[in-house]
Amino acid sequence: MNTVVCIKQVPDTETLIKVQGAGIVTEGIKWVMNPYDEFAVEEALQQKEKMKAGAVAIVSLGPDRAIEAIRTGLAMGADTAVHINDAAYYDKADPYATAAALAAAVKGLQYDAIFLGKQAIDDDAAQVPAMLAEMLGIPAVTMVIKFEVAADKSTATVTREIEGGQAVVEVPLPAVFSAQKGLNEPRYASLPGIMKAKKKPVDVKTAADLGVSDGPKTVVKEMTLPPARQAGKVIGGDDAAAKAKELARILHEEVKIV
Amino acid sequence: MHGSGAEISREVFWNILGPGFPTEQVLLYVLVVIAFLLFFHGLAKSGFFTRMKAVTSAKGPDVERVNNAWDRFWYMVVDVFGHRKILREPYQGVFHLFIFWGFIALVITTAVVFLQADVIWPIWHVWFMEGNFYLGLSLFADVFGLVAIVGILMAMARRYFMKPTWLDEKGEDKVILWFILAILVTGFVVEALRIQATETDPASPMNPYIWFSPVGRTVAFLFSGMSMDALRDTHVVLWWTHVLGALGFIVFIAYSKLLHIVMTPVNIFLRPDTAQPPIKVMPPEMFENAETFGIHNLEEYSWKDLFDTEACMRCGRCVEVCPAFNTDKPLMPRDVIQNIRTYMENKAKFALDADGNYHIIPDEEYTGPALIGDGIEKDTIWACTTCMACVEACPAYILQFPKLIDLRRYMVMMESDFPAEVMDVFKGMENNSNPWSIGAHTRADWAKGLDVPLLSEKGEAEYLFYVGCAGAFDDLNKKVAVSLAKIFKAAGLDFAILGTEEGCCGDSAKKIGNEYVYQALAMANIETFKAYNVSKIITMCPHGYTVLKHDYKELGGSFQVFHYTEILDKLIKQGKITLKQPIENLGAITYHDSCYLGRYNKIYDQPRDILKALKSGSLVEMKSNHAKSFCCGAGGGRMWMEEDLGTRINQKRTQEAEASGAKTICTACPFCYTMLSDGIKELELSEKLQAFDIAQLVAKAAGLDQKTNNSGNEDEQEAAN
Repeated sequence: MNTVVCIKQVPDTETLIKVQGAGIVTEGIKWVMNPYDEFAVEEALQQKEKMKAGAVAIVSLGPDRAIEAIRTGLAMGADTAVHINDAAYYDKADPYATAAALAAAVKGLQYDAIFLGKQAIDDDAAQVPAMLAEMLGIPAVTMVIKFEVAADKSTATVTREIEGGQAVVEVPLPAVFSAQKGLNEPRYASLPGIMKAKKKPVDVKTAADLGVSDGPKTVVKEMTLPPARQAGKVIGGDDAAAKAKELARILHEEVKIV
Repeated sequence: MHGSGAEISREVFWNILGPGFPTEQVLLYVLVVIAFLLFFHGLAKSGFFTRMKAVTSAKGPDVERVNNAWDRFWYMVVDVFGHRKILREPYQGVFHLFIFWGFIALVITTAVVFLQADVIWPIWHVWFMEGNFYLGLSLFADVFGLVAIVGILMAMARRYFMKPTWLDEKGEDKVILWFILAILVTGFVVEALRIQATETDPASPMNPYIWFSPVGRTVAFLFSGMSMDALRDTHVVLWWTHVLGALGFIVFIAYSKLLHIVMTPVNIFLRPDTAQPPIKVMPPEMFENAETFGIHNLEEYSWKDLFDTEACMRCGRCVEVCPAFNTDKPLMPRDVIQNIRTYMENKAKFALDADGNYHIIPDEEYTGPALIGDGIEKDTIWACTTCMACVEACPAYILQFPKLIDLRRYMVMMESDFPAEVMDVFKGMENNSNPWSIGAHTRADWAKGLDVPLLSEKGEAEYLFYVGCAGAFDDLNKKVAVSLAKIFKAAGLDFAILGTEEGCCGDSAKKIGNEYVYQALAMANIETFKAYNVSKIITMCPHGYTVLKHDYKELGGSFQVFHYTEILDKLIKQGKITLKQPIENLGAITYHDSCYLGRYNKIYDQPRDILKALKSGSLVEMKSNHAKSFCCGAGGGRMWMEEDLGTRINQKRTQEAEASGAKTICTACPFCYTMLSDGIKELELSEKLQAFDIAQLVAKAAGLDQKTNNSGNEDEQEAAN
């Protein structure tokens, strides 16, 4: 089975984010592969291993630095990659523009299934998988936690996470699948994998190369961080009654919740 | 006739030789030759030569083994004859010493008799075995023979009555002690029969000196009623029994663990450089050109790795001290070595072709048990805390636990095969340079409001205070970092921290087997240290101390590294810190030796000297202390793994602390501090026990108020009050 995995490089969840205008300060940020995309890569690799045939191609839209995330995917075991390296396009890209670029890149590839993370943890839009499927004219199944493909590769039987339960869906292939946590345990790249990844082919394309010109449909106007958490307050003293009284006063007068 | 002429002597071969041609004497030497031939035959039969071919064909890199040959030789002599390491354990040390010296003395005596009777007398007709020399020799042999018997009986008492759980019980173990005892006893009986027959008669010239063979003389009383003929007949039979027993013993050496008589001294000569951490060095260039990392098959071993398995005689001292074994985990260091040996035997057997030529067969063709998984179980490989107790205990200088690191390296770097919970640890180290996966930008937050100088602002300082991940990110250990910063400032030490420029030391990655990530972290630190011209470093954590001090050298980073206890001890002794306030309610204090401070770096005294200088509470020792200290359970990356096999190591150690009668456990390692604090909570001993890091107590005794910072130290205040 041939699969394509679309991945995004995002800031590490623990990294310090500073907002600047409608974006973030990118200096000093530790970049990683979007964690949900790791499930997507892992699933593609497991399917390849299970079928003992096929190839896994990584596709990513991002600036120069995105190559690190692409190499991570190759180190895990993917075979080839397409890096849509176009800073001007990327800087303005919204989910629509991203999906358009990915769709254009995917069209040149062989695939029975396309895997993506259910959302990127930076902008949390969760739109790309569905848009990509629409642009390619194939079905999309989101929030996948279990994936099985028929022996003839004509259909996939997929378990989706739904509110309070699960749903099993059958879908003809090719199709787009977005991975939810629980789908698998992403592997840790082995050292030979890391070494080999350095030599695997990465096809670098610009938006113009792919013929995508349809720009973003949305524009971010402003970004803000959540308010800083207030320091906790310890009410001192030995007299429990006095402390309780003080607590009631604070809740009533300062925090105004009672 | 041997010994004729001398009155105060004895006739060698008394009652054995007939008149005329000394047939029996010739027969004896024929038997001796046969015994030695059978010995070599036995080596072949038991696979020794095949194993040696495997050893000498090994291709893995090894270090210098015969440098300073003279020093090595003397070290070996002192170790073998003085039992330097064997006596670490008094009981088994003493009985081995008794058997060993009994054996040596009897070999010497036999050699003297042989020289006299079969070399010097036939050639020069000189008889020196007489008079005082003879009497001395007689006494010497008797006393040491008895000492050997006492040693054997002590060993039997251990094997049959004390029955320690770590003692191996194989077929040969059941035989050896009885075999040696039989040889010794028949020796004394033969002597007694001869004495009864030749020396008890008051007319005998030897009669006045009969008690120079005290054991033989005493045993002879048993035979006082026997006729001369009966004495002579019994003597002949037992004499040959004794001889055949002794010769059989020589043959038996080849087939059994007794071969350690030869192999262990050799291994002592080849011992590793003890100034270095015992884990193999992987040169950074390896990551550019090597195709495989760590060890998973015979071909990857160094010859010394395999030779180690020959020197092991299964004594079990490594098992006795192993924290994993002592908490019912499937790890016995001895069995690791023995299983590698079995694996080698299996593969060497397969590798011997029809002509007897040795060649290593490729893994694809090998159908025997694999090394990882079959020979050594994965749970065994992950159970090790790298506490080094096994290496420290081994009288044969075998490196046990480092062989598990070799396997971990293969599993982690080649197969990505490790406990699931370690994934986040590696990712944390890679992405945020700490195993807790906390944002790297918060690394200096512990120091907020303390006015701790940053190297980037100060430019240079005499000491770099390398805080390490625990001091920077772990709430419990942040308090220790705060205490240290305050002490250093109060003592006027010229120091600075790196703040967010500091990175993880990499020790956990290294010990889990991820040398690749370790080296990336280490190189980043070395680059930063060099950029600031750092020469002296103080570490808070013994793990960072060990890698910075020893392992970074391999990557081009040579620095003078100190553990904070070394610095505090010096500052206190120089009077730069005054411990003016005795701390109340500490009760008896016990110091828990961190493995990485103690066994790895031999720092035992400074922490104790600091505690004594507190003049608060008395210092008591736990059952396991100093070089025999018992691990807290967190080393070797175990800090980050689930401990779901057996019982918990930290609880075992906490119980030891409780049994010592101490009220306060003091640590000098963030991992130990965490593990023992948890142990107290888990065992619900908070009423009876409390844990502190030494630095906290020093800060308190020096009157450095804990409340002037904002990193949440109220707990400590409460606890210390």
